[in-house]
Amino acid sequence: MRKTDFIILALLVLTSLAHHPALAGDPPKRVGMALPEAGTDKGWNEQGKVGLEIVAKKYGFPIELAEALGYGDIKPTLRDMVQRGCELIICHASGYQTAAPEIARETGVKVTTVENHKAITAGLVSDIDTQPQGGCYLAGWLAGKMTRSNTVGIVASAEPPTWNRMSAGFAQGLKASNPQCRLLYSVIGEAAYADAAGAKRNTNDQIAVGADVIFGLGDGASFGMLQACSTKKAKDGGKVWFIDVIGDKRSIDKADVLLSSVIMDMSVVYDEVIRSFMDGTFGKQHWVAMNNGAVYLMEPNQAVPGSVREELKTIRPKILSGEIQVVNWPASVDLHKFLDETFPR
Amino acid sequence: MSPLFESALISAMLASTIRGTTPILLAALGEAYVERAGLLNLGIEGMMVAGAFSSFVVALNLNNLLCGFLTAAVVGLALGLLFGFLTITLRANQIVVGLGLTIFAHSMSSFLHRVIFGNQFPILFGAGGTHEIPLVSQIPVLGQALFNQHGLVYLTFLMVPLMHAGMYKTRFGLRIRAVGESPWAADAAGVSVDRIRYRAILLGGLMAGLGGAFLALGDLAFFVPDISMGRGYIAIVVVMLGKWNPLKVCCGALLFGMAMALTSTLQVTGIKISPDFILMTPYLVVIVTLLLFARSTNLPSSLCIPYERGQKGQ
Repeated sequence: MRKTDFIILALLVLTSLAHHPALAGDPPKRVGMALPEAGTDKGWNEQGKVGLEIVAKKYGFPIELAEALGYGDIKPTLRDMVQRGCELIICHASGYQTAAPEIARETGVKVTTVENHKAITAGLVSDIDTQPQGGCYLAGWLAGKMTRSNTVGIVASAEPPTWNRMSAGFAQGLKASNPQCRLLYSVIGEAAYADAAGAKRNTNDQIAVGADVIFGLGDGASFGMLQACSTKKAKDGGKVWFIDVIGDKRSIDKADVLLSSVIMDMSVVYDEVIRSFMDGTFGKQHWVAMNNGAVYLMEPNQAVPGSVREELKTIRPKILSGEIQVVNWPASVDLHKFLDETFPR
Repeated sequence: MSPLFESALISAMLASTIRGTTPILLAALGEAYVERAGLLNLGIEGMMVAGAFSSFVVALNLNNLLCGFLTAAVVGLALGLLFGFLTITLRANQIVVGLGLTIFAHSMSSFLHRVIFGNQFPILFGAGGTHEIPLVSQIPVLGQALFNQHGLVYLTFLMVPLMHAGMYKTRFGLRIRAVGESPWAADAAGVSVDRIRYRAILLGGLMAGLGGAFLALGDLAFFVPDISMGRGYIAIVVVMLGKWNPLKVCCGALLFGMAMALTSTLQVTGIKISPDFILMTPYLVVIVTLLLFARSTNLPSSLCIPYERGQKGQ
């Protein structure tokens, strides 16, 4: 064999080894993750990043993280991840519904999307969707018990399916807990996930008309909601309570207004995704929900009476067993209709 | 009208209008001078973010708000100088430099925030405080909304007539306008085109930096990446809406600020209009206003055109 032939053959063997797919039962050699915002937002992005880090540690694979990508064309970034050897890419935003499956078809690398059921393809595309309404029902129940003015507000940074499900679940829990309550509902913008100033403006307006418990759906914008609750007094001169979602903001709650949070533990779902990768069943629907432990209500503030805590403990199994049927309205049209019917003005 | 449309809500809406207008107005007043001098500074968004971040870091570490605002002014000046050096001295494309500056400032502030604070978002206690003006602040509904604001809010609105006078009643203002309309004629009359443009962009940078600092220190008391949320670009629109006249620019900024405040107020009242439509309001207002009042808008003749003495065609 000539020397050049030998070198070419050796290169071919090495290349094929480098691109050899993981054997069944093996975790991916490297996992990419695309985040629209910084993974330090104490919300959706941070929970995604932290969740993947937990799973990576468990299965021993490195992570290729791309943060703050925004909602533009992320395909060059995804291709770059493929070139760096990622065998699975998690596109952690509903805004990546188009780009992620395209890259999967183009490169053959497995991807995981968010809120994109139609793209599910056996062995290629799996999807993560949320069913957080059960946790939000509990948050609504808590709000109904803690309000002094009987006025509670929801401030949402946008109206994606996850936020809508959460708003509907919260409203249902509030109504069940305190039928006399009035519910205010404001949206900051079309995709105002990071608009802290807009969040503060909306929260201030709700406080001005009497809201003393705010349920904030915001990502980065929720810092503005927390700030408004921390600095404004309710009409009776008391605290304005804040109920957060997805992450835990207790470390920055200096005014002690954080009542609780509907936590989403993404490590539970990523664990399912990695296991499906390993056992060859990749390409399924995965849910961030109460029944698999991915959604739960954070330990409430110390100010919450023991009786209310007991009520929350009693309600949770009823939701899990289906005794309490929590509504599921992902579309904003259905959510508005539900809110109008449940809390007529 | 909904019973929720009560005086407290109207007062909150007016206060939101003033507070929301302030950072846009600060940036727009400076940009009016910049554009009048023939420069288009698309880096204004980045200058606001840089001003917000630098002011917050310094104020937090020194526990001194004034130092924070001064830092934002210095950072704004520095970025203005950089923009000026690239576009005036080196005659680089203003649009490319402006967008590059915005991307750079956004990325750098986000990166440094991560380096300095990790995943923490410290709150600067004491920031965001208001100064109540005695007597007038007691006027029903209007008093608390208009006369219980942050000190920089009063200063910003006081600057409007001053900057208007500066533009139309001073030699500096005349030279700015001359340089923006026909730099070669100004040059022939002995005016240093580059010097005037440098002064204008330094002023613009300073004001944009202060606008960003107001967001971090005057309104929110914390910093998050993307804190500006396009307010710099809105300032550019407002400048065009106001035809580079500081008084009209102020009206445009107030109009936009009120439309933004209304998006929240209308939803709180429970008015039976889709939030999607309500959220369009500020942009619809701007488009309609542009159609109605800005049809005869004449851009400064030399806007975006680098000046080089003796160059053909000038």
